[in-house]
Amino acid sequence: MAKKTTKIGRYKILGELGRGAMGIVYKAEDPNLDRIVALKTIVLEADAEGRKEYEKRFFLEAKAAGKLNHPNIVTVYDFGEAEGVAYLAMELVEGTDLRERLKEAKGEGLPASDALDIAQQVAEGLGYAHERGIVHRDIKPGNIMLQRRGQAKIMDFGLARMRVADHKTSTGMVLGTPKYMSPEQVAGQPVDQRSDIFSLGIVLHEMLTGTRLFAGEDAPQIMHNVVHVEHEPPTRIKPELPPMLDFVVARALKKDPAVRYQDVFELSADLANCLAELRGKAPAAPAPDGTRTIKIASADRAAPAPAAREIAADSTLPFSRQFDPSAALERIARGNPKRLARGPRAVGLLRRIVLDSSARRLFFFALLGALAGGWIAFV
Amino acid sequence: MPSAFAASVVFLRIQDFARRPASEQARLRAQLEAVVAVIAAELAAERRIVLDASDGAAVVVLRDPRGALRLAERALAASSAGLPLCAGLNHGTLQTVGRKNNEGLTGDGIAVAASIAQFTAPGRLFASRGFRDALADAAPGREAALVSAGSFNDPSLRAHELYKPDGNAVRRRGRRHALLGIVLGIALLGGGIAYRLSVEGQEASVDAVLGKVPYWRELVRKVSR
Repeated sequence: MAKKTTKIGRYKILGELGRGAMGIVYKAEDPNLDRIVALKTIVLEADAEGRKEYEKRFFLEAKAAGKLNHPNIVTVYDFGEAEGVAYLAMELVEGTDLRERLKEAKGEGLPASDALDIAQQVAEGLGYAHERGIVHRDIKPGNIMLQRRGQAKIMDFGLARMRVADHKTSTGMVLGTPKYMSPEQVAGQPVDQRSDIFSLGIVLHEMLTGTRLFAGEDAPQIMHNVVHVEHEPPTRIKPELPPMLDFVVARALKKDPAVRYQDVFELSADLANCLAELRGKAPAAPAPDGTRTIKIASADRAAPAPAAREIAADSTLPFSRQFDPSAALERIARGNPKRLARGPRAVGLLRRIVLDSSARRLFFFALLGALAGGWIAFV
Repeated sequence: MPSAFAASVVFLRIQDFARRPASEQARLRAQLEAVVAVIAAELAAERRIVLDASDGAAVVVLRDPRGALRLAERALAASSAGLPLCAGLNHGTLQTVGRKNNEGLTGDGIAVAASIAQFTAPGRLFASRGFRDALADAAPGREAALVSAGSFNDPSLRAHELYKPDGNAVRRRGRRHALLGIVLGIALLGGGIAYRLSVEGQEASVDAVLGKVPYWRELVRKVSR
């Protein structure tokens, strides 16, 4: 039977909080400050090379995370190594993680206002980290803690790297969780803050709809889906969601980082607008015939980016549904295939004279001259 | 259902749509929807199919290039209301895809219109050579309203001749044709006179030949009074 750990460094172990792929997380007490902390340790690998790599990553994480002090980021207090065990002392967050919360929702997703609130808090936390050159690289529901009062905290900057040290992953080592990776991360390319935005977009979509984006049977299939499969707009899955969310999610989930949100604060501002819209007014109910009214804000149309609540665009139907194409498709189906497929014909002289008034004028004057000339010449 | 059919496509693209904040995207999309609702209503339902595009909309107009041009021009008028629309017009082959009641359209007709719209500046309209030819076929003479604007290569490196609308081009062409007709008429008249002179030889006088011109003497008499 393995010996029960009672102390790591100066920390007194009070119990085990969980085990992950990386190591064990303990509830511990810091006797110096009389503070309860979460103590994350590394389960060291047997081979020396793997152990060295793991330790290196662990201390990089600790240094990166230690620089962050934000209400939406789990604070790192201390890190070190004692008796062959590497440890990281973090703020102990009472609550549950988002993954558990989504499980409890049983595939229904979270209420839209909760989802937006959580996503906005995560965006704020990420924005703070990005400003300091730190990219999380592994944003997923399991790394978002939810406190009882509703505060969200990002934890496990375990894959975070200083942006300047991007070359360290340029060997093609893929870091992250495939389901929540960005296309550039999947491709093993250098990543920046836009990669976190993509991952947060996936989490947001999952919170709103309860469906898992880019799901697949195995990691290669998931990675293929991340790179090639387009997401379904949230309002198609849950029509009661505000249409503006489609635009927010679509922009966060752009495959090309150049057209994605460039800054997570932009995303945060849009989420705040959506939240204001959601809290400010109930969405317009569809008419009995299923149609919706399209309204345009009467304010200056040239003004850039008004608050979401000022946008009264509650049309969730795609164009193809708003303008029923069945009559035209019927016409195509009934039509003569040869005639329908015929390209434009060259316009002949006769048709030109009959139908083109300008050509007809030219022809008239020329004819008049020809008749007069002919009369003189031959009569 | 036929495998393919030819139609005019008006591709309306919102400039830099993907790069705009989501709130602005929603506002512009709502504006575009309102514009399309108004302009599409001017065409009979059996003549048009409105399609979604990631950064705008495409209107497929069946057998009515004049209607398509009018529709594009009407849509562009909305640009002055703060909607940065770029319009691309093409006439090409399309194909219906998908199951019944869930059909979509695909084909070169849309692809070329989209790449032209991609090339176009906001508030501007460019049409392809194919569209100009279709317009000429449907309404000979109307194609003069589209004047050459150069050419461009799309992302597939296909070269496209581009045409832009010019409101005065039709009038200018009408004047040019009238002038040409008069010159041609005078030339033919002169040819007749010259022929007569050559036939009658030395004996014929200019007066005698001109006397053959209908109403010539009456005209000379009136002028000399």
